[in-house]
Amino acid sequence: MNAISVSAPLIALDKVAKTYPGPAADFHALADIDLDIQRGDFVAVVGASGSGKSTLLNLLGGIDRASSGRIVINGRDLGSASERELTAWRGRNVGIVFQFFQLLPTLTALENVMLPMDFARLGSSRERKQRAQLLLERLQIADQADKLPSSLSGGQQQRVAVARALANDPPILLADEPTGNLDSRTADSLLDGLTELVRDGLTLVMVTHEPRAMARASRAVSLADGRIVQPERNHA
Amino acid sequence: MLSPRWRKMLRDASQHKSRTALVVVALVVGLIGAGALLASWALVRQVTAQTFIASRPVSATLRVERVDDALLASLRQMPQVAAVRARRVVYAGLDANGRRTRVQLFALSDWQARDIGQLRPERGSWPPQDGEIVLEPSSLEFAGAQFGQSVQVTIDQGASVTLPVSGITRDVSLAPGWMDHIATAFVTPATLARLGAPADFNEIQFVVRDTTLDRDAVRRIADEVRARIEQEGGRVTNIVVPVPGEHVHAAQMDSLSLTQGAFALMTLAVCALLVVNLVAGMLASQTREIGVMKALGASARQIGTLYAGFALALGLASSLVALPLAIAIARPYAAMKLEMLNFPIGGAAVPWWVLLLLLAAGCVLPVAAAAIPVVRACRLRAADALRDSGIVADGGHLRRRFVLPGISRPLQLSIGNAFRKPQRMLLTVLALAAGGAVYLGADSLRSGVRASVTQLFAGSRYDVSLHLSDGAEAARAERAALTVPGVIAAQALVSATGTVLHKDGLDGERFALVGLPPSSPLLAPLIQQGRGVAAGDGQVLVVSRSLLKDEPALVLGADVELRVSDRLSRWRVIGVVDVGPQPLAYVPAAALNAARGSELASILLLTLGTGDVAVQRETILRTRAVLATAGIAVGRSELVSEARRVFEDHLLMVVQFLGVMGWAMIAIGAIGLASTMSLGVLERTREIGVMRALGATDRAIASLVQFEGLVVAGLAWMVSLLLSLPIGQLLADAFGRVMFTVPMQPLPPARAALSWGLLLVLVSAIACSWPARRAVRLPAARVLAYE
Repeated sequence: MNAISVSAPLIALDKVAKTYPGPAADFHALADIDLDIQRGDFVAVVGASGSGKSTLLNLLGGIDRASSGRIVINGRDLGSASERELTAWRGRNVGIVFQFFQLLPTLTALENVMLPMDFARLGSSRERKQRAQLLLERLQIADQADKLPSSLSGGQQQRVAVARALANDPPILLADEPTGNLDSRTADSLLDGLTELVRDGLTLVMVTHEPRAMARASRAVSLADGRIVQPERNHA
Repeated sequence: MLSPRWRKMLRDASQHKSRTALVVVALVVGLIGAGALLASWALVRQVTAQTFIASRPVSATLRVERVDDALLASLRQMPQVAAVRARRVVYAGLDANGRRTRVQLFALSDWQARDIGQLRPERGSWPPQDGEIVLEPSSLEFAGAQFGQSVQVTIDQGASVTLPVSGITRDVSLAPGWMDHIATAFVTPATLARLGAPADFNEIQFVVRDTTLDRDAVRRIADEVRARIEQEGGRVTNIVVPVPGEHVHAAQMDSLSLTQGAFALMTLAVCALLVVNLVAGMLASQTREIGVMKALGASARQIGTLYAGFALALGLASSLVALPLAIAIARPYAAMKLEMLNFPIGGAAVPWWVLLLLLAAGCVLPVAAAAIPVVRACRLRAADALRDSGIVADGGHLRRRFVLPGISRPLQLSIGNAFRKPQRMLLTVLALAAGGAVYLGADSLRSGVRASVTQLFAGSRYDVSLHLSDGAEAARAERAALTVPGVIAAQALVSATGTVLHKDGLDGERFALVGLPPSSPLLAPLIQQGRGVAAGDGQVLVVSRSLLKDEPALVLGADVELRVSDRLSRWRVIGVVDVGPQPLAYVPAAALNAARGSELASILLLTLGTGDVAVQRETILRTRAVLATAGIAVGRSELVSEARRVFEDHLLMVVQFLGVMGWAMIAIGAIGLASTMSLGVLERTREIGVMRALGATDRAIASLVQFEGLVVAGLAWMVSLLLSLPIGQLLADAFGRVMFTVPMQPLPPARAALSWGLLLVLVSAIACSWPARRAVRLPAARVLAYE
């Protein structure tokens, strides 16, 4: 795995910066970021609030664009892609788990999971449903499939969010503090599931404050004031 | 199976079902109004084409000295002429069931002709037999006659002849009797002779072969026909060429339809504003959801399709409800319009293309209205959408709040709230103001019409006019009338029919000439331009605006040649008066007598000592009897008050319709306000929760919402006052084209502005009651947890 990753990083960031214009002065959310992530890595991105973690995740997911520098993921230069191309690429290549789950409130758990497949037009309607059920079973939440998010607990909602992120079978999963709103038992259970997915070849980039999550990561990237502040630590 | 994204849209709509239902109701109201107008217009056009054009309307009528079969045969040989017929028109008095009306009696050379001015027998026998009379259906009620009964017909001083009404036959080329205040009937030449009128024909009518020709081309053919008649030894004294293929009232009807159409479009535009507000509000509350969907791989097109589909569904649902209702309203409305044109609606159905067009309009309108906010939302980048903090209170544009002295804090808060979403507020204000502007415009027009009618009748300082059938010596008639108790003033006037001799040698349309003495105490026309008739005047004319419209050459200062009683004389135009839609000219009585070679008066004006209509009628009957004893025959009599009422009613009928449109638009505007306020309550749910936590009472919360509505209503009131000026002018212009010029006030009347203001307060209170109730019912704990 290492041999492959050394020769061809799945995610490569080269002098990436992100600046937000402000009324008084520009705000530099990220500056000079050089980062390579290999296929199958579980990278924990850590740092204080406002250090640029979520911005980094948004750039990796093609949700936001870098102000300068280059981001190449799986051979695709995100800077050169149009908004439409980025959307299509994201649908196929990246799964995103949001901090506050962000399940669509008027859709059931099952429908939330089917939604990315619907947008990407993957398979038939029946196949989408079957896959969504499969993912919910895998995340041990199949019994809640027909419930609306409002009637699910935080942990259940986060599992549905993970299932939704995996719906299109993306090679990369980006997770923004997925355990931040969960109790320790639920968080452990979720991390178990994610770790298993990484073992199956998924590349996971997770923003987290949780030591238990960092402990499971193969690498940790620490950010402060928009810069990587300490050497990356390898666990694996 | 419905895909998850469409299910989401359905459930989102059902979550906001009240607001969605309001927009559907507004769309339904707008579509019913616009649909009814379009469908009725289509029906009128269809029936007009099927009935009027199919009747092969007459292309021209020539008055000739004599007509015989040889002349008709000669004219039929002309290649440009498709059909020819001869007729005589005689005016008479018709008595039926105690009512006396004027009637025009038609005798035709060919009753069964299908290629010229086809008549449509509807009841009884056809054609009329000697000693019978067939009435035109619109004249039946007007004359008070009934099929199968007998009526008395009198020509001038002749004996009354009793004729049975043997049939009812429609002539679609004529205006209805009630509109032109004259009945129409058909009799044989032999019956005319029995009535004491000449039995031979004196008019030739023809239809051109090429029905695509315009009026000028038909005029040229008419001139060729005249030349042929003169070649055959006849003499043509008058030629009338109507606009080819157009009913006598078609221009007015088109103008009316056009004006109504413009307001129907305005109503739809107001509906569109509501859709914009609904969809924009929906999108604003779902910005983060849109961001999530984009993050999950939804393309801009997919999201756009989703919301456009929602708008389409609204339109489709509204159309399905509105269409049957619009069609149901369209038929009676079209029948009313057709009655004004003297057409029977029969079994005519709304054309299928109207249904398709209405369905398409109903579906496209909300999609088009939603397009801008939807495109804006689709263009939002995922990162920006995800950064959105959900439903926000101030939309990121909360301006510095001005503290208004002397105004309570809750009211200040309401004022500030009203301006939080400037675009939405603007659309709501515009929707309400548009309805108000039409309401005020219609009110201004109503006042203008009443003022115009008052002005028109201001010069009529008499109570009743009597038409002296055979004429009478003026002084004798006046003396006789003054002997009648109740008659306090009398004045006899001379009158005649004249035509303008055009440069091409042809006569124009006929108009009335009324001779005035140098000073007339009972009739003093209000001069618009130039001056009135004065002592010492020779052959001078004071023309009415309507006559000027028909004969544009009669401008102030123009010298024209008139044919009066078959004599040509030269006249100068010295003034212009406004007397309503009637084409007439006032001339010095002496000059008119000289021109027509007679001094007999034909009109007797009376001022009566009472305003009581019943007493006035009795006085008229007594005057008739006295005049009859004096050997003076009286034809038609007319009460000024009644004439004014009928005239005003006809004019106000159009204004009433515009008023209804205004009400419909106000209803839609109110729905818009309710929708905006409910959206505002939804957006400020957390804020309301905080206020609740701080101890705000139900009344305080409800007042906040109600005050905010009043602020919007107040702005709408001000905007509507401004908007009413151009709308009022537009209405007045349109009315001027259909009826006659109406002076518009520069500002809406204070009474109307005030009543509209009060109405707006009521509308606002009703529209805000539901959102206020919702706000009051929100439990503090829930709203504080609301994101």
